[in-house]
Formats: sequence, C-alpha cells, structure tokens
Amino acid sequence: MVNASYVANRPTATGKEPALLAIKLSMGLGGVVLVLLMVFGLCMRIAQGGLLSMEPTLFYEIMTAHGAGMVGTAALTGAGIMWFFLSRHVQLTGAVYWLTLTLFLLGVALILGAIFVGGFAGAWTFLYPLPAHSGGVWETGAAALFLLGLISVGVGFLLFYLETGRAIIERYGNLSRALAWPLLFSGSQDDVPPPTVVASAAVIIFNGSGIVVGAAVLVISLINLYAPGFAIDPLLAKNMIYFFGHVFINATIYMAVIAVYEIIPEYTGRPWKTSRIFAAAWSAILLMVLAVYPHHLLQDTVMPGWALAIGQIISYAAGLPVIVVTAFSLLVYLTRSGIRWDLASALLVASVFGWSAGVIPAIVDAIITVNRVMHNTLWVPGHFHFYLLLGEMAMVFGFMAWLTRGSIREGLSGASYWGLVAYLVGGVGVSVIFLIGGAMSVPRRWAVHLPQWFIQDQMGAAFALISIVGALVLLVRYLVRVAVTVRA
Amino acid sequence: MQPYVLTVSLALMIVVTAAFWWVLRHTAADAQVASSGQVERYRSGLFWGLVVLGIVVAVATLRPWPYDVSSADDSVTVTATGSQWSWEIAPQELPAGRPIVFKVTSSDVNHGFGVYDPDGTMMFQTQAMPGYVNQVRYTFTKPGRYQILCMEYCGLVHHDMI
Repeated sequence: MVNASYVANRPTATGKEPALLAIKLSMGLGGVVLVLLMVFGLCMRIAQGGLLSMEPTLFYEIMTAHGAGMVGTAALTGAGIMWFFLSRHVQLTGAVYWLTLTLFLLGVALILGAIFVGGFAGAWTFLYPLPAHSGGVWETGAAALFLLGLISVGVGFLLFYLETGRAIIERYGNLSRALAWPLLFSGSQDDVPPPTVVASAAVIIFNGSGIVVGAAVLVISLINLYAPGFAIDPLLAKNMIYFFGHVFINATIYMAVIAVYEIIPEYTGRPWKTSRIFAAAWSAILLMVLAVYPHHLLQDTVMPGWALAIGQIISYAAGLPVIVVTAFSLLVYLTRSGIRWDLASALLVASVFGWSAGVIPAIVDAIITVNRVMHNTLWVPGHFHFYLLLGEMAMVFGFMAWLTRGSIREGLSGASYWGLVAYLVGGVGVSVIFLIGGAMSVPRRWAVHLPQWFIQDQMGAAFALISIVGALVLLVRYLVRVAVTVRA
Repeated sequence: MQPYVLTVSLALMIVVTAAFWWVLRHTAADAQVASSGQVERYRSGLFWGLVVLGIVVAVATLRPWPYDVSSADDSVTVTATGSQWSWEIAPQELPAGRPIVFKVTSSDVNHGFGVYDPDGTMMFQTQAMPGYVNQVRYTFTKPGRYQILCMEYCGLVHHDMI
C-alpha cells in the first residue's frame, strides 16, 4: 500500500550532503559524455554498415575513446550515487569526492590527448603488450599518456573507496558488520546496516582489490614501454587486466543499484530492508565478482582447466542474486503497491529489467562450448550494452530525474514519457541487434565489415539514433532543472 | 549452434520481460498482498529451480571436457602463428573427417584464431598469445575453403587479418 504523504514529503537532496554540487556536476558531466559517446557508437555502426567512409585509424581511435569513456562514465555516475546515499548513513568528507572528480577529469584529459592528439588506439583494455606494439601508428608517448590517464582515474577511485571504507568502519566498527554478517550468521538484529551500507561495503572490498591489481599492471605496462626488458608474463598480464576490468565495470552497476534500494521505497511505501537473504546475496556477490573473471579467458586453453570451469559455473551463479534477490524483491515490492509512475520510478524499474535480461546473454556466453563460437563476436557488446544502457545508465538517469524532480508529483507524460520510450526502445534495439550480429558470427572491433553484415549494422545504427534522441531528452531535462535550481 | 543459442537467449529474456510486464499490470494499490511466507516460498522455489538448472547445464556442457586434446592415432597437427597482421599456418590443406589439433601462438601481441566455414559461420576459436601455445581439437566434417579471422583486437589492421 502506498503511503502518499511519504511520497510528497520526502525530500530528494537536503542540501547538506557532502559534495552535493560535485555529485550534480558528475551526473551532468556523465550525461553529456554518455550522449557524446553514444554518438561515437552511432558513427562506428554507420561506418561498419558501409554508409559512412571512415579511416580505420579514426575508427579505432573512436572505439578506444568509446570504451574508456563509457567505463569511466559508468564508474563516475555509479560512484556519485553511492556517495550521495551513503552520506545519509555515515559521515563522509566532501573534499575527497572533489579530489576523486579532479583526478578523474585529469585522467580524461590525458586519455583524450593520448587518443586524439597522440593517435593511441589500443582499445580501453590496453591488452599487454599491445600498447608497446602499435605497428608504427602511435608513439610510445601516446601509449604512456593513455596509461597515465587510467592510473589517474584509478587513483581517484581508490581514494573514494578508502574514504567511504573509513567512514563505514568509523560508524560500524568493521566491514564484516557493515556486510551484515552478524545478522547473516547469528541472526543478530543489533544495529543492522541498511542496504546502502551493505552494498557499499561489498563494492569497496572488491573494487578496491580490482583497482590495486589494475594499477599494478598499468604501471608494469608503463615501464615496459620505455624498458622493453622489463616484461611481464603475457598470461599473467591478461589475468590481471581482465580481473581489474571485470571487477571495475561490475562495480559500476553494484554502486548504481543503491538508487533502486533508496528511491523505489519512496514510491511504494515499502522500505527495502536488510534481511538475511539480502545479506547472503551481497556476500555471495562479493565473492563471485572477485572469482568470476576467468570467463574472459575461456579461449586460453593454457589456463588451468579448473579456473575455466569456475569461470563458467560462477558466471551462472552470479546471475542468481540479481534475479532471485534484486529483481524478485523489486517485483514483490511493486505488486499491488499503488506505485505512482514518474520518470524516476519508471527508469529505475526499467533498469532492473535491463540488468536482469542482460545477464542472460552473458551467462550463455560463459558456457565454454558456446563461448567457443560467440566470444569476441558482436554477442559480447550485445550483452554489455544491455547491461550498461538499460541497466547502469537507466539507474543513473533515474537518479538524475529523482534528484531534480519537483516537490509536487509530476507523473509521466509529454517529453519525459517520449524520451523514456525512445531511450528504452532504442537501447533494446541496439542490444538485440548486437546479439543477432553475434549469432551471425560478426567479429567485434572490426572497422570494416563484409557486405553480408551491413544489414544488422544499419539496423543497429537506426536504433542507436533513437536511443540517442531519448538520452538527449533525459539529459536536457536534467540540465535545465539543475540550472533553474542554481539560478534560484 | 549460433541460431539455437540466440533463440534460447531471446526466449529466456522474453520470460524475464513477461514477469516484469505481469507485475506492471498489477501495481494498483490493493490491501490483499501475498504474505511474507508465501513470497519466500516463491523465492525459494525460484532459487532452487535455477540451481538445479545450473547443475544440469554445467554437467551437460563440461563433460566431456571441451578442451580435451588427447591425441587420437589418426590426428593431424597444425601450427598457427599470428603476427601483426597475418597468419602463418602449416599445413594449409587438411583432411576432412580426421581430428585436427591446432597449436596456436603469436609472435607479438594477442590475436584471436577464429575458424569460419565457407558460409561465414564461426566453427571454433582460440587465442593466440605470445609466449604460450593454446591447443584446440576440431574435426572438419565437410570439405571446403575455411577462413581464419582475427578475433582479438590487435591494432589498426586487425580487420584485414583474414
């Protein structure tokens, strides 16, 4: 049953959140960059579809910027959501968020310089030893600049996790209590942390670990550029890079889902509580996010067989908390709740749908026998576009809509409605066409496509355009409302 | 295999869509809601159902081990080395109907060794990594001209590494 006064009276931002301005700035920046990167993606699909002549050099530069930019945008916006809601439960130091944002922007500047001035086009995954082997296309300095940019971004986020971890430990004593282990293992109801704290504690542990490993392989790659004798085993480097990359991109949605936990109850009047099942799910997520990365190496048969089997099995298991806990709980909370729909609530519900549906092609691709014919085809971007466009970024847009919603219930109509529809329809279309491309055996990351692949490229481009229009509407709505607030 | 994989995946995604759609049709406020015990029974059923499904899928797809390359008496060995941006493969002509063991490596960066049939469908792939030799076994059932496409981004001529 919905509690109407609860909806009407609950403030969004109180103005007392540490670094609220920086969070609003992060969201606006994230939205602007997202739309720009979507345009990059559209250009790539049009070029692949034979409708636009683009030099492969430029294509791969754009591809590198698209990948690095999307991962960074998802991380920044996810971190903004986590910071905003965590500050309701623990004492955070606003200056640290500003420092994270500053290092992020410095990193972005270095990365953009490396790509569009230095010509670096080694993909965001910087798979060792590719940065040092450009085939005469980019200079060592450009590769170094790119790696330094990633290091700057990584250091910023490491500070973010150290600060949020410090604040949680200060409030709850240790991270195990923040993970609700006393509730999980002994049923203790004493000072049970809210879902936001549980999720934050898990993300701090696994993404803190991921960033440290990522920093190590980045520094090794950086030194290797200037001292080729200082080499690392390529298989070890591959493991480190995919561990870092997998954990880092997963962390984005595990941070952003906090918006669902905190905002949806305002619309349903049913609080999202930390139960034993919830605590068990997040402890499982913590372990599985750390252990699942070998599914990126299923085509490296020199890997130990047990590691590849674990990669397959845990990929499946990692979908269970998403479907059985987050999606199932959301559907229970929604059923007969009397929820009032507005842009924020619609986007947040859609985001959990996008996440739940998006894990399916990921799980399927992690089956070794399937991976053998689907790995590194367009199936892979099909999965992660579902996950990012319809999951993580829908959560972000939902948070942005909630942050700027009026004090009176607005409903869902007009430009907001059509913007939402365009974003979702376009996003589903982009993702499903990628999956179809994967089933057609179209390789990913190819600047030039064969004529028999054009039709799916062109259809993908059409849906990308629809999705961009939708994203633009959602972004402009946010920017206008923030500007009005600032002026007021 | 690919059309089957696509169909199953889309079917499962439609099931998820249907679950959300059903709930969205039943959000009107109503005092009659399921008891928490009922909800947890549904959740438990969903969880154990998915666990059983996962075990069945894991056993069915991991046994026999997909990467078993134990050599048969009549197997043929092929060595393939990727380098920016070409393949060196020997021998290039292979018999149909006999197991082929591919030993794949790289002289510079990571490449992907994707084998496509004459219709443009990928049959299998493995990674080509400097310093390591990945092995994969495959038996071609139909004679024809098969192509190797690079499946791992390896630099600016990646798309021409056919």
